[in-house]
Amino acid sequence: MTILAARNLCVDSFGGNESFPVLSDLNFTLVPGMILGLVGESGAGKSMIGRTISQFLPSGFAVTKGTLEFAGEDLVAMASERRRNLLGRDIAFIPQEPLSGLNPVLTVGQQMREHLLRIGLAPGEHWRQRALAEFEAVHLPHGAALLGKYPHQLSGGMCQRILIAMAFASRPRLLIADEPTTALDVTIQARIVKLIAEMQKRDGTAVIFITHDLRLASQISDEIMVLYAGRPAERGPAKQLFSAPAHPYTRCLQLANPTISGERRGLYILPERMPGLRVLKDITGCRFASRCPNAVAACTEAEPPLAEIAPDHIAACIRTEKTPEIVPPPLAPARNVETAKNYLQGEKLTKAYTVAWSPFNRNPKFRAVNGVDFTLGEGEFVGIVGESGSGKSSLARLVVGLDTATEGRLTLAGRDITANGSSEKAYRRDHIQMVFQDPQSALNPRRQVGSIVTQANEASGLHASKRERMDRAAELLAEIGLPPDAAMRFPSQLSGGQKQRVNIARALCSVPRILVADEIVSGLDVSVQAQLLDLLLKLRDEHGFSMMFISHDLSVVRYLCDRVLVMYRGEVVESGATETVFANPQHPYTQSLLASVPPDDVQAEWSPVLTETGYQVE
Amino acid sequence: MKHLPLWLRSGRVQTGLVIIAILAVCAIFAPWIAPNDPNEQNLLSILTPPAWADGSDAMFPLGTDSLGRCILSRLIFGTRVALTVAFIASFGAMIIGAILAHIAGYFGGWVDWLIGRVVEIWLSFPPVILSLILMVGLGTGIRNVILAIVLVDWTRFCRVLRSEVLVLRRRDYVAAAQLVGFSHWRTITREILPGTLPLLITLMSLEMGVAVIVEAILSFVGMSVGADTPAWGQMIADARQNIYEAPLNLLCPVFAIFFAVFGFNILGDGLRRSLDTRLTQTERT
Repeated sequence: MTILAARNLCVDSFGGNESFPVLSDLNFTLVPGMILGLVGESGAGKSMIGRTISQFLPSGFAVTKGTLEFAGEDLVAMASERRRNLLGRDIAFIPQEPLSGLNPVLTVGQQMREHLLRIGLAPGEHWRQRALAEFEAVHLPHGAALLGKYPHQLSGGMCQRILIAMAFASRPRLLIADEPTTALDVTIQARIVKLIAEMQKRDGTAVIFITHDLRLASQISDEIMVLYAGRPAERGPAKQLFSAPAHPYTRCLQLANPTISGERRGLYILPERMPGLRVLKDITGCRFASRCPNAVAACTEAEPPLAEIAPDHIAACIRTEKTPEIVPPPLAPARNVETAKNYLQGEKLTKAYTVAWSPFNRNPKFRAVNGVDFTLGEGEFVGIVGESGSGKSSLARLVVGLDTATEGRLTLAGRDITANGSSEKAYRRDHIQMVFQDPQSALNPRRQVGSIVTQANEASGLHASKRERMDRAAELLAEIGLPPDAAMRFPSQLSGGQKQRVNIARALCSVPRILVADEIVSGLDVSVQAQLLDLLLKLRDEHGFSMMFISHDLSVVRYLCDRVLVMYRGEVVESGATETVFANPQHPYTQSLLASVPPDDVQAEWSPVLTETGYQVE
Repeated sequence: MKHLPLWLRSGRVQTGLVIIAILAVCAIFAPWIAPNDPNEQNLLSILTPPAWADGSDAMFPLGTDSLGRCILSRLIFGTRVALTVAFIASFGAMIIGAILAHIAGYFGGWVDWLIGRVVEIWLSFPPVILSLILMVGLGTGIRNVILAIVLVDWTRFCRVLRSEVLVLRRRDYVAAAQLVGFSHWRTITREILPGTLPLLITLMSLEMGVAVIVEAILSFVGMSVGADTPAWGQMIADARQNIYEAPLNLLCPVFAIFFAVFGFNILGDGLRRSLDTRLTQTERT
């Protein structure tokens, strides 16, 4: 019996007198108990599939061809009344942002009650009993206390668990999980993914698991479909697809992601970007041809059909036999950084905040950073890893001077800069710059790129002429790999990756010796992430700056950084050379962090440590 | 129409600008447009009906009031007071409110606390009473009307703008500007002000409408400009006694006030829709 079947499904977007293909020729079937992983870069149309199933398409989008059948009924042609009855009951959703999935002004109990009454309770059953039973099933402790809480009083992981409990409360036949773990920490990601798998096994639910992480998808899915520009590039059994990808795009995606174990390798850099909706119509051949390392003239002549290359394994490529020949570039030779080991040094750095005093809390200090010792050598990349709330960003703010340490000492090239007065600020400014996390917030939307990157020249006391600034902007843009005409554009006209490049260029303008980078590649596609990581390595070769690289992504840190500090609740629990720490972690926290990352080898057992430490009701 | 900036393409903005332009032309060219001297009393023809009624006088298209003054001329000259007050008072209130809002929102801490409390105390006075008290203290005259409105209404700007400054203050680009060595002044003028400007312009446009109403209230109770300067509020007050014989005398200034306030409000609404960063297309993508 099939739960969901798509046959030649096409979704188009209409703008003006034209229509643009959003999804084309989609074919898949789901049987009970099966997990289908949907993988692709942003803009590939992954989320659009979920929205097509719920018929919750943005205005101007419509299904133009094909059928989408849920248990034998066509979801597209179905009366909306009937569809509404199915949604939330037989078809459940888990959203990407757990906090926006819950109503902030209602308690968890009120929302749970509303949902349970809608899906119907067994005769004589009280909603409260049922809610507690559902919480029990997703391992949420203190269920009774939870019912009275508002979503903002809970952590992201707990909200996501509540949403999972709600989704599975009706014993749905189909579950659509749209990047359910992207907004969460690695350790919580592992727990949530394992939980979805556990619940799915219990009820025999069919799951569509949407993610951009091929490694994660291959760990939990039975079958994977890789989407490229709205069209399936490859579909096959998860383990087989991951270990022997047939489509060059799958292979490139895999190689663009740094490894977490084994030998380090270079990253495959996919050039440019996925073609946008507007240009798709003009592409006659394979949509991936312009970025494909194996493309030949025949690729641009006709759209390659989805051909079976192994049982149940199909790929839309005419040269699948060449795919294994794509190899990552060699790793840049290891640098010996023996100069000035402690260029930047922190000793017992502490940042304490005063929190509300109460009779029960007589020492109202919260230490975001608690006695941290670290050094940063010249030209050295040091990674700082840890979950959110571990004090990574607070440490970064102390180093760049956005905050002042309450205790401890910070020295830069032998000079004490702990005090953070105006002379320390001026001294620090010439040496340390910061690259911010969110390019959306870090770039002033009302400034042109040329003006943003040369902002340092505008600071008081430096009066660079317009001509000088434009020249400097052109230089910087060339360094970070943007075309010169980008100088006249506004941030809103750039893609996420381009914005992040501008963000880096601004920090580089005054030629600092140290860069502090706070989660600068999180939230970007793997291909863009690979481009940025290699850009940073290239820039280091040219300028020789050192970097404090803050990230929750351990494999990225492993690829980029010479040394690593592991932070937990404001303290450094482990530090050392990246290779050593990752190969042989000593502290249990480091071990659990590493175990949370899906392994590179798809056959290996993924056994994240499922401790419940983060789940107390606070 | 393609080359017009986005905000000018809005129908609301265009409507508002046309209304304000008509009023401005009336105000600037009043002596040439008005058929009569607005203060000339013609006691032989008091309460003349308008041109379309029986017994009208061609000299007075909208008739005369109880002292035989030309209604149309008084309306046209009244525009001068209304617009002068609207523009200067809202500009003044904006300057004071915006400066304090940026200081409070940017620096935070005790400065913010102090400014916040001052605004709260200020707002606890009923605005009309406060302006009446001010007028009693300051004496009549257009300069004092403006001063009174500025002193009453700056809080409106301060409140709304401060919260916008607080939002922008937390953006990473403000932190980035500080890290490259921007002074506070430069950070506020280059990074924050461009972000608050759309809201500021919108608020100012709405404030102009409010200023027209406050001026009308003050001149209605005779606390505004002197009796020798025609103002819309005065005309309403004058027409009260003859409301049954000559209802038009009352309706004309009421309509003039409505027209002006409508113009400013629709302009403000249009500007808000097109300038507000949370709504524009470029920001969304």
